[in-house]
Formats: sequence, C-alpha cells, structure tokens
Amino acid sequence: MLTYIDRIKILREKKIKDTLLKREQNGYTDLDDFGTVPLPKNYKVEPWFNSENGSFYGYDGMSENFCRVMDAHPPYVDPLEMLCGRWRDMLVNYRGDLHYMPDWRKAQLSDEDLAGVTNQWSKRWDEIRFPYDELKPLQKKYNIQTGIDGDAHLACDYSIGLSLGFGGFLEKINKYRAVNPDKKGFYDAEEKCVNAIIRFIDRHIEEIKRQLEIEEREEIRQNLEEMLETNLAIRLDKPKTFRQACQWVAYFNCASRVYTRDGAGFQLDTLLLPYYENDIKNGVLDDETAKFLIANLLLIDPHYYQVSGVDENDKDLTNHLSYLVLEAADMINISANLTVRVHENCDKEFLKKSAYYLLKNKNAWPRFCCDKTLTEGYMKNGISKEIARKRIAVGCNWMCVPGKEFPMNDTVKINIAKVLEQALIEMKSEDEKSTEKLFEIFTKHLTVAIEVTAKGINLHLDHQWEVTPELIMNLMMEDTLEKGLDISQCAKLYTIGVDGAGLAVVADSFGALETRVEQEKRLSWDEVYENLQNNFEGVKGERVRLMLNSSPKYCGGNTVSDKWAKRLTEVWVRKIKAQPMPDDRQLIPGWFSWSRTIEYGSVVGATPNGRKDGEPISHGANPNPHFRVDGSVTAQSSGIASVQCGYGNTAPLQLEFDPQLALDEKGVEIITKLILGHFKEGGTLININILDSDKLMAANKNPDLYPDLVVRVTGFTAYFASLSPEFRQLVVNRFLTNM
Amino acid sequence: MTFDKAVVADIERAAIHDGPGIRTTVFFKGCPLNCAWCHNPECKQKEPQEMFYPEKCIGCGMCKEGCFSGARIICGREMTAEEIFEQILEDKAYYFSDGGVTFSGGEPLIYPEVIKELIKKCKAENINTAAETSLALFDDELLGQLDLVMADFKIFDSEKHKKYTGITNDAIKKNFLKLDKLDVPFLVRTPIIPGVNDSIEEITEIRDYIKGFKNIIGYELLPYHPLGIAKQKALGLEEIRFKVPTKEKMEELRKYADLYR
Repeated sequence: MLTYIDRIKILREKKIKDTLLKREQNGYTDLDDFGTVPLPKNYKVEPWFNSENGSFYGYDGMSENFCRVMDAHPPYVDPLEMLCGRWRDMLVNYRGDLHYMPDWRKAQLSDEDLAGVTNQWSKRWDEIRFPYDELKPLQKKYNIQTGIDGDAHLACDYSIGLSLGFGGFLEKINKYRAVNPDKKGFYDAEEKCVNAIIRFIDRHIEEIKRQLEIEEREEIRQNLEEMLETNLAIRLDKPKTFRQACQWVAYFNCASRVYTRDGAGFQLDTLLLPYYENDIKNGVLDDETAKFLIANLLLIDPHYYQVSGVDENDKDLTNHLSYLVLEAADMINISANLTVRVHENCDKEFLKKSAYYLLKNKNAWPRFCCDKTLTEGYMKNGISKEIARKRIAVGCNWMCVPGKEFPMNDTVKINIAKVLEQALIEMKSEDEKSTEKLFEIFTKHLTVAIEVTAKGINLHLDHQWEVTPELIMNLMMEDTLEKGLDISQCAKLYTIGVDGAGLAVVADSFGALETRVEQEKRLSWDEVYENLQNNFEGVKGERVRLMLNSSPKYCGGNTVSDKWAKRLTEVWVRKIKAQPMPDDRQLIPGWFSWSRTIEYGSVVGATPNGRKDGEPISHGANPNPHFRVDGSVTAQSSGIASVQCGYGNTAPLQLEFDPQLALDEKGVEIITKLILGHFKEGGTLININILDSDKLMAANKNPDLYPDLVVRVTGFTAYFASLSPEFRQLVVNRFLTNM
Repeated sequence: MTFDKAVVADIERAAIHDGPGIRTTVFFKGCPLNCAWCHNPECKQKEPQEMFYPEKCIGCGMCKEGCFSGARIICGREMTAEEIFEQILEDKAYYFSDGGVTFSGGEPLIYPEVIKELIKKCKAENINTAAETSLALFDDELLGQLDLVMADFKIFDSEKHKKYTGITNDAIKKNFLKLDKLDVPFLVRTPIIPGVNDSIEEITEIRDYIKGFKNIIGYELLPYHPLGIAKQKALGLEEIRFKVPTKEKMEELRKYADLYR
C-alpha cells in the first residue's frame, strides 16, 4: 500500500522530469515555475483576433480567447494525487509578447508573424484605440517600465469565491445583469468565462470516470472515487470540506493563471482553517491527509501564500494549520512562494520552524515579511489599521488588500540609473560641477520621470477595462459583479506602487564622486566625463574605474554612499508622494528591480561607480558586489533597512548566501536572529536564498544534474535548470557578493 | 603606539563561527606566538603591513599614487576603543542575548587597555563579549569581565609547542589554571594540524589536563584549513603548507576530545 510519503516521492520525481521537459518545450524561462505541466502533442489553439493589429482586447476578445485556451486544455488527473487540474498555456502567448512567448508558441508562428511581435507590451495594449506616443520619448529617456497593460497585479478575496462556488458566480452574474442592463457585455463575458471553468471541471470528471473504469488497485480506486465525489460537489456548489476547498482553489488558480498569470494567493492558514477544523471535528480528516492536500495544492501552483501574522486586534494568527502548511511544503519541497508574516508577538516556535525549513532544504522558501513596518507604513496613506493588516504578501515584492485594492504593484518602475545618466549629460555643459549640482539636476529629471510615469498609470487605469478586463479576478473582488464594472474601474483602494530600480548604482556613483573628486581631489570632473565617455578604456581608464569602484559603497556601514542612498530615498519618496493623481488614486514608493537588472543595465552607459556601459544595474535595494570585504549580511541588512520608503511597499532584503551553518539549534537561531534583526531595523521583506555553495557552482556548470535545485531569482522562486545561462550567472554573482 | 589605541587588522561583521549568536569579530594585530599553520598571518606582526596580490595588479605603474586594484593593500590601522565600538554597535540589532563581540587576532590581550574600555562600553549596552586567546598572556581583570573565553591549547608537549609556535606552553598551562579560577565560562580549542598534533595521544593528554576544570564548557577540535597560505604569500612570508585533516580523522579525534570520556 502506498503511503502519502511514497506518493509525494513519486510526484516530486514526476515534477522534476516535467521541469526538464518544460524547458525543452518552452526554452529557458527566466520566470516563476508557475506549476505548469508540459503540453500534450498536437496541442493547438486558434486565437480569435478582434483587433487589426493582430491581438485581442476587451470583454469579447478576452472572454472568447479564454474559452478557446481553456477548452484546449486537456484534463490532468493523476491517480496518485488527491486534487486534479493543471494549466499549461496562457492568453498572453497569443498577444504578440515575445518576452513571455515560449519556444513551442514561436514555432507555430511564421517569420512574418514573429517579425510583428515585440519584446515589450505593445500588443497587449491596444495602441490603436489608446495611443500614448506623446509619452514614449520620456518613457524611453528614463527607461520607465510603464505599467501600461501590466495585468493581474492585485489579489482576489478568496472568501468571496469559497462562499459562492462557480454556480454561485453564475447566480450572482445573472442577478446583477438584471440590475445593470446597460452592462450586458460585461456580464456576458463573465458568464462565458465561468462556464469555461465549469467545462474544464467537467472534463476532469469524465477523465476520473475513465480512469475508474480501468483502475484495479483498490486504494487508487478509492482515491479516484473520492476525487470524483469532490469534483461533482464543487462543480457548481460552494466547497464544504477541506479537500473540496483545496480543489476549488486549484481550479480557480488554473483559470486565473491561464487568463493573466495571476499568482496572488491568500492567507492560507486562516482562510482554510474553518474547513480544516470542521472536518477534524467530523472525523473526516486527519493531519497527514491535510498535509498531503496542502502539498498537492502547492504542487499544482506556486502561488504566493501568506501564513502566520496578526489580526486587526493584534492577535497572533498562527494556528495548527500554519504548522501543517510548513510541514506540507517540506514534504513536497519544490518551488514555493510562501511568506511568513512576522510580528512582535508572533509565535517564536513557528518562526524558528520556518527558519529551520529554510536551512534544511536550501530551496529558498519560506520568505519573511514584517507586519509592523508594512502595516504602519500603509496606514500613512490614510488607510485604517484594520485594512492595513489585511494587506498580505501576494507577489514578488508586493502586498495587496484582497478584494479591495488595485495596486499595479511590480508593474511600474523607473530606472534611476538612467535618470542619473540624463543628469550627468545635462551637468556636462554646466559651468558648476559638483555632487550637489548633480543631485539638483537628478532631482529635476526624477520629477519629470515620475510625472510621465503617472500619466502612463492613469492611461492604464482609465482604459484597462477596455483592453484587458480582469474577468477572472473580478469574480472575487468587491463591487465588480455588483456594479458591472471591471476592478480597474471600481477598486476601493488605488494605492499604486512605483518602484525605483538601480539604487546602489546611483548611490555608489554619488559616493564615488564625492570621495574621489570632491574630498580627495584625485580626479577632476573632466577626467570622470572622459572615462565615462570612453567606458574606462585602457589601463588608465581601468585605474580610474577601480578608483571609483573602490570608494566606500552603499551597505558598507555608515559610508558616504550609505548617506547618499538615504538621501536618494528621501527625494524618491517625497517626489512620488507629491505627484498629483486624479480621483482617489495615489502613488506609493518602493525600491525593486524585479529580475530586470540585465535588461535595465543594457540601456545605461558607464556610471561613476565604475560600472561599465551596459553592465547590469544593481538588484532591487541590494548593494553592488563587493560592498564590503566581509560581504556582511548584517551590513547589507542594515543598509537596506535604512532605505525603506515607509508607505507600506517594500525594499526587499534579497540575500543569497551559504552560511555554512549546521542544521542545529545554533543554525536556526542565527537565521531567526538575522530575520528579526532586519525587521527591528525597519526592514519590510526578506527574499532569502540559503544555498549550498558547492551545489550552486556545480549546477551552474551543468544544471541538468541538479533539476531539483530551486533558487529565489527575485521575489519568485524558479528551478535553476530552467533559467537562461545569463540569469544563472546573475544568481551566482549575487551569491558571491555575500561570500 | 599609545595605550589608548590598538592596531586592528580587520573588523568582521556577521561572524557566526567565533562564538554564540551573530557576532562582530575584531581582529587585533600582533601575537606573541608564531604558529606555523596560522590562518591569520597578517595578525602576527603588530605594525601595519603591506600585502601584495600580484594577480590583481593592472600594471598602471602608479603604485606610489595609491593602488585601487586591491593588489597592494595596507593591513592594519590604529583605532581607539571609541572607533572600534562604533563598528560594534552597527550590528547591535542582531546580537540579541547571546551574540555580541569577539576580540580575536592575533592576540587581543596585547591591547588590555583598549579591550577593557571596549568591555566597559559593551556592558553598558548589554552586548555580550568574548575573546579568542592563546593564553600566552594573562590579565585577570580583563578576562574576568568577559562573558566567554575561547582559549587555544595547541600542543601538549612544551618543547614541541615551542618548535611549532615559537614559545613553550609552560605559561599557557599555568594560565589555564588561573583562568579556571575567574568564574568565566571558557571553551578550549585545538587546531588539528596533520603531522603535528593529530594523534589520539595528543588529544588525550590535553583533554586529561583540562577536563577537571570547573568553568570549562567544552573542548573543540578545529580542522586546519589553508586559508592563510594566500596571505602568507601576500605578506612575502615563507609558504608553509599542511595537509587538511580528513573528516574521518576529525571524527575519530573528537571521540577522544569528549570531556566526559
């Protein structure tokens, strides 16, 4: 008889094989694993384009193509699992976006078709109807990631869906269609999407029945029968048991991923707690089964789930299920995006257990966020404590109030290294040259960059519903179905995240100029400009580069560049918060680059910190390599804690290191203290990779030998073997910084 | 050199192998011993020294104007207790109850006044203090104020000790007796150097000498590692290389290092 452990072992091995097969089908993907499974042979979708530019938009376009892709999805039923359903393909693959386009999709396109796709978002946004040509020159000038058609960066309130079920969605749609007859197009599209999900479930039901006809092993038959019962129960009705709730979530997640890759989960340990407790009370669930179900849910999709934390009355939310979530994640031990919310009165044993698994598995989970700084920061935007506490970790760097907020978090970025470049260009023709003057010009350009960014955000908010309405997420947001409006039109909170990228490059540049040009007078401004112009060529240039690069850096510990980093943060926050926005919209500052450091760096020339033309910019709020001789993680931690923007968005501490700690009490204590220390200093989020140095180096040489190695690329985790050589090297380089 | 300053080779933050918790380790320069296997050879001499790493040289020919490539670096700078303490404070948020500062080197006890001042400041801030010492020097006032002492007992036989470290261990053995009377918990450590002290007899002799101490909290064996070789070369010193002990050897010897054996 197969035990749960036996089954998990087989599922894990299958996952590893799938990872390698996916890489064959998709090519390298510098993205989240997403939990997808390989495509079957002969998989084909005929997209329906409703725009002359060869893409599709709006209620009609999105709902029709959602149905086409969903209907093309074969069922996924593994008799060793307790849950079923997987997604494999997404709508964006048909919208001319080369950045996300997998190899199998490129192979379906002709050279002529491919010539029309872009490496950015152009076909995801309907530029024919909503052009923004007037913004493009400045967006390019400051290398702004505009957020225009940055979809799915919000969080559903899963309690809405769990209390309605798919049939309940249909009833609600019908009810409000009658109330808002002028919104027929909206309701028709929503209904069409829900029916596609129900058809998806129905195909699974048929597949389970088919397998039951041929399955002879009694224990497997029993599982399939229970699976069938679960699927029939949740096809239309709301889930009632823990297994049904997990299965319902799995289906919704598959659908939401197919639609817009939505990866925002929920507070896993509290939302599912009533189901767990009820089943335990009724004697239909035990902890081992609950753990298997959670592991199964995590296997289906590495959504961002938060665990632990504190409620609006300061009561610790950690419960028995919180522990089971960790144990389940340990059981399956794959790519996972679990975030532990840490607070002053948190269950210290739970925190230690979280650190224990991080150290034990070295697979980059869980990560940690700080309740105090996030809650108090978000409240500074005029939000109540009750709401602020509900703003949970559901993305790479970002938080969201489920059901209420439309934050666009992580979709809008300004490359401040590019802003610095513009400031340097302008100062070159000035008589006065100084770091003060440069900062003044930098601030002026930053203001312009923020203004144009805000215009892009407003364009997006005004028209997203006509381009990429959030038809799936709308099902679990407040007031959407009630009003017949897309969530982009009717959110209760428009706290829009704008992240700055390249902080360390800019801070170290100012620090190096102040040190070498102004204090020590080793270099003149002309020499600096000459060397930037010629990219530090020749031995003399290299000496200048090293001189600049060896100046005390950001995160060095009260260095000149630390001072500049704080000053840059102050001006960044002030300017972002001062930017006028219409209606109830407001901007929230953060520091984050996502995994775009190579891309952002490629458009920035040599910088005064000794960075050469085109080299990657610094990662998020992290320091540059060699920020200290000892690579001290505490120095990095304190440095990053000192540049928090303070309005509820993050500047994550992103650590890659091999602490060479034994898996014992001391090792766990050290990790726990590092986490608590960072949060005591004011930090918001820790994305942490504890890695085995030898394994990482060997995997970088031959990734296929380590298909189970998971790394946290930025906010998300990914299989190392799936990353492109450039990204693998990036992770290795970051790792070496802390060695 | 004045009494209120010490020459510091390096201050390492987030040290996790120099005592309990997260620590800041201050490496003082200067040591009365001259161990052949020393992994911090730059801390033997008290005065600041130039270290040369030719592989980093870019050949700009401007050494006198300052080297920025890392090829020529000066190891060691005079610091006051105040200056050192500023850096210790940087990581206060991470120390909690057991982490803190470790005075190391070289031999920290060659700067008793600076360290006493640092201990005073640390105590005022509730920062745990520890020292790594050869016990070739002794200062009961200083050692008595520490929260933890990590003392090396390298070789049992005095003449052999002199052969490999430059001094006999007669004073060191006596200092262990004195240390035990201070009511400060201490840890004894032996670096295992193949061909020198990697025998059961050696470890047994040391263990038997120390096991009766009332304030001893453990006896650790540390495998030799060759991290000092590159630094020996950079300092222009003779390269002395030993074998790295095998895991099996370390496990075997650790059985004999058990104080309750």
